[in-house]
Amino acid sequence: MIRDAAGRFGHTPALIIVVCAAVSVALLSVASGAYPLAIPDILKVLGGREASDPVASLVLLEVRMPRFLLGFLVGAVLAVSGALLQGLFRNPLADPGLIGVSAGASLAAIMVIVLGSTWLGEWLEFAGEWALPIAAFFGGSATVFLAWRIANRGGQTQVATLLLSGIAINAIAGAATGLLTFYATDDELRSLTFWTMGSLGHAGWDELVIGAPFMILALIVSPFLARPLDAFLLGESVVGHLGYPANTVKKAAILVVGLGVGAAVAVSGLIGFVGLVVPHLVRLVLGASHRVVLPFSALIGGTLLVAADSLARILVAPAELPIGLMMALIGGPFFLGLLMRRKIV
Amino acid sequence: MLLIALCWLTPALVQAEPTRVVTADGAITETVYRLGLESMLVAVDTTSGYPEETQTLPKIGYLRALPFEGVLAMRPDVLITTEQAAPQENLDRLAKAGIQIETLPMAWTPEASLERILTVGEILHARTEAKDLVAELSSEISRVQQSAANRGSRPRVLFILAAGNHSVLLAGQDTAASALLDAVNAENAVTTIQGYKPASREAILASQPDAIVIAESTPGQFDISNWQELAHLDAWKSGHRMVADSMFLLGFGPRLPEALDALNRVLPSNAAVVSDDS
Repeated sequence: MIRDAAGRFGHTPALIIVVCAAVSVALLSVASGAYPLAIPDILKVLGGREASDPVASLVLLEVRMPRFLLGFLVGAVLAVSGALLQGLFRNPLADPGLIGVSAGASLAAIMVIVLGSTWLGEWLEFAGEWALPIAAFFGGSATVFLAWRIANRGGQTQVATLLLSGIAINAIAGAATGLLTFYATDDELRSLTFWTMGSLGHAGWDELVIGAPFMILALIVSPFLARPLDAFLLGESVVGHLGYPANTVKKAAILVVGLGVGAAVAVSGLIGFVGLVVPHLVRLVLGASHRVVLPFSALIGGTLLVAADSLARILVAPAELPIGLMMALIGGPFFLGLLMRRKIV
Repeated sequence: MLLIALCWLTPALVQAEPTRVVTADGAITETVYRLGLESMLVAVDTTSGYPEETQTLPKIGYLRALPFEGVLAMRPDVLITTEQAAPQENLDRLAKAGIQIETLPMAWTPEASLERILTVGEILHARTEAKDLVAELSSEISRVQQSAANRGSRPRVLFILAAGNHSVLLAGQDTAASALLDAVNAENAVTTIQGYKPASREAILASQPDAIVIAESTPGQFDISNWQELAHLDAWKSGHRMVADSMFLLGFGPRLPEALDALNRVLPSNAAVVSDDS
């Protein structure tokens, strides 16, 4: 599993390929959608001039731009969180979805939606539009912490325990969500049904302003964890010998994942498989060093999610597919393929 | 002189009859068809499945998850929907893009239902047609309600929403189903539930209704063999039951008189007067 830090290829060509892919997907995402825009109009609007179609600037600036930025951030954060968890648990199966972090964040968010009219009301009034991301952050962090505590025996992470506890946490969160669904009014029900499928369909600058700071913070902090996480790969006792405070590293990784996944879930709902599949891809091609895996995961995760969102918008136009479904459709078979080629464990 | 002419012309232009219409609500779509204005329709939502011709129109998705660009791409002058439409962000953006957004109130009484038809007529500059339609529907509704009032008793009805063979929901209080029963002088046999909740087989047996109504979200999906306890109820055995399309029963659109009439026909004329449970 662990390859030479430089991997099979040098990193510069890979970086060039990934950046080119990111830029093309960005252009595709901004230029395509159900509403047809002429290329000259797009260039004019992005250049700050008036387009011949007056609606063009609204579509581009108010909808596609924030949606692209938010999609990229969410994809980057989910992929980086997956990479961090896989490093922390020393297990390539760890993923915000599998070990229940997404479910925990989403349960907290759904509690805000459904219980907002009851005992959570006062806090909601106080927290305003920040209530959802903050709740999702605590929900996400609490679940990572729980999974960590359960799976950790004498400094070693028990793989089977980790996955089983993930299943249990997902089941509990799912049941609690179901219970809230049962008590929800029809209005609340519609919010949370679409929540669980994941969507960037209502993304705008407001969502970006609320979610982006958390996600950017998570992305900025994660590279500092790269070297200690590399040490983790050699065994938890080695981390201390190499001069890294093991406990601080764990807590920092848990906080970053809780923060990032919480904010991502708060603005886009449940989107699976990015966190699992993307770090795998990077490791297969570029090696297991976190100094490589983390930044490449961010770039590829963002690109992949934006690409999936573009497809979700185009495939069934004028309707839109929930992006969570798109990712599962793409990620599920890919994951099965990996499993069958025995490259996972 | 030209300026004055412009001043007079501009409001006339603004009030110009819409020619491209998107509807997001089954009952509103039906209304457009009944008014004979379907040539204006450029797209509908997924709740619009009646009449059959709606199948040929582009579908913009579910009215509770309206896509911004999808609706915009149809280049409508007006989007007519109900207050159920979501997300609000996308409705705001569509309005910003110059599309007239009409979110009509939910209609759960015959009066509100007729009022809504008038509003659709108003929006589509078909006031006369709408008035004629409302007059026609209104007299049919009165006829059914008169016959319902003559019944003298308020039968208790078990109203079930079948969303799949194994997903069966009881319609409780504060639902369109409950409102429909009210309109034909009947009452909901389920008094302790608010909204639609999964059915307990025991609760079905215990409800002992005078009649059973099953609303299917897809025609033919309800299979009585999966719900034997319904077959054990006296109401089922004596034929005081109906299975019908949920949009037909609960849409509160122009088919409301037919729905009320069909419902009224399955109600027993001499139901035992139940003790007042208030």
